[in-house]
Amino acid sequence: MAQGNESTVIEVRDLRKSFAGRHGRRVEAVCGVDIEVRRGEIFGFLGPNGAGKTTTLRMLTTLLPIDSGSAIVAGHDVARHPARVRAQIGYVSQLGGADDLDTGRESLLLQGRLYGGDARTVATRTAELIDLLDLGDFADRRVATYSGGQRRRLDVALGLVHSPDVLFLDEPSTGLDPQNRANLWERIGDLRAAGTTIFLTTHYLDEADALCDRVAIIDHGLIVALGAPVELKREVAGQAVLLSLRDGAPAAQQALALLEPLDYVREASAHEADLHLYVDNGGESLPLLLRVLDGAGVGLRSISLSEPTLDDVFLRYTGRSLRDTGESGAAP
Amino acid sequence: MKLVRDTALMTWRSLLHQLRNPVWLFVGVSTPLLYLALFAPLLKHVTVLAGLGHANVLDGFLPGILSLVAFSSGVSQGFTTIFELRAGVVERFRVTPASRLAILLAPILASMLMMFVFDALLVAVGAAFGFSVHWLGLAVLGVLLGLLMTVMSAFSIATALITKEISSFAAIVNGINLPILLLAGVLLPVSIGPQWMRIIAHFNPLYYLVEGSRVLASGSFSGPHVWQAFAVLVPLCALVLAWATRVFRRAVS
Repeated sequence: MAQGNESTVIEVRDLRKSFAGRHGRRVEAVCGVDIEVRRGEIFGFLGPNGAGKTTTLRMLTTLLPIDSGSAIVAGHDVARHPARVRAQIGYVSQLGGADDLDTGRESLLLQGRLYGGDARTVATRTAELIDLLDLGDFADRRVATYSGGQRRRLDVALGLVHSPDVLFLDEPSTGLDPQNRANLWERIGDLRAAGTTIFLTTHYLDEADALCDRVAIIDHGLIVALGAPVELKREVAGQAVLLSLRDGAPAAQQALALLEPLDYVREASAHEADLHLYVDNGGESLPLLLRVLDGAGVGLRSISLSEPTLDDVFLRYTGRSLRDTGESGAAP
Repeated sequence: MKLVRDTALMTWRSLLHQLRNPVWLFVGVSTPLLYLALFAPLLKHVTVLAGLGHANVLDGFLPGILSLVAFSSGVSQGFTTIFELRAGVVERFRVTPASRLAILLAPILASMLMMFVFDALLVAVGAAFGFSVHWLGLAVLGVLLGLLMTVMSAFSIATALITKEISSFAAIVNGINLPILLLAGVLLPVSIGPQWMRIIAHFNPLYYLVEGSRVLASGSFSGPHVWQAFAVLVPLCALVLAWATRVFRRAVS
């Protein structure tokens, strides 16, 4: 019994999950998430570690029971028909999961058989995937000998053996060097071109920006912004100016007080010695800003003007920079 | 049918992994042989002192070693589970529609197969040194060994899924190892111990196997030890498997 709309692959309403925390208190990991993922798109879940990305993903992939809310994945209710959901989705965890003692081809063949394919179909599909993800050079070597990038591509292939309706990728490029990341992105782009729907989580802005058709920014278990990367960046008005003050936090506060009232400054916030501004027409307003600061005797260490990035979007909605959030509170 | 198919696929995988691990194979064969070579000679004099008359010391000792092999190959299963948990392998299989019971049973079956190969080797070596072979008794004993091995494996895997990391798992396994082995009479029969020891032994599943194994290996089926072993191990096996499947279904890593 398939539910939902044909063009919607994932439909999530008010999804919640909490875990037992210290001192008997409940820790809310996911507090009311709504998502809709359309067929054929790459949907990104962007947020710092511990924001609830992996927890959400684990619920959608039937690995973790849902506390409350509903999730329809590939036409089936995750809570009521986990087995039907499993048959329709592919999942690549952060850890990968290929067996060191098997060859890549053996892993793919076994995975295909576990999804119910007969030996011949699975062999054909395996050959296709080896081609698609460029595994040919090492498919018959044991996985233990693979490099990080090779292993990652095999992991992705393992998630695709049964041609799933949607592929879940949890932090796909974590731990890869820039060259292998670029290679992986290229492969993911190929998959999208072939019509695969992909739901991925990432804490890399450039990854979300480069790959995703739409991005949901998640923080403390809540979606704070949702849209195409371009739209999100457009919402952050004007251009981003980053001023780094020579005399530290007090100077940043002083500069904030001076600049915030100016009518071409849309938004301003101070973080220690840094001052983030969003200004109209940067080319003209920048000299004006400098004049004001100079007049007040506030010294600068550095200054930069840029088009807004997803980090600016993140900063705007959470009050923190994604780069500053660090490794606190990893998701269970 | 799906259960059978999935189990066969996963068992073949586990079997290949075992064969591809030469160190493991070597230790698996050599440890029980060392027991025979290094412990049986000591036992010779002890059994004479204790008045336990066996035609050959191996007739009493070898069945105990077979039981020991079943126990330890079962109880060590969890190490693989923890390794696979850490490598994401468990998750990779859990998101497939494969039968949960098949995923759980496969490594047990593969290890059991290897265990029977080791057992056959032990019996062959034992026979060369005077152990009298009674085929029918050994065949029935094989069933009991398989049952105990399943009980210990399922227990070990479930414990591994709960503890999730090697140090606390290893502590638990090592902690139960010694008392269970000593209270089962694997090396020395419990019957030469004091009464409190003989009473506690009755709470130890391995004890029933060891007692039954000595009777069966002698080619006899009479006496209470054989049916008692089945009466304890069959329900225990069902119980532990049900618990382990439940833990596996809910396992969060």
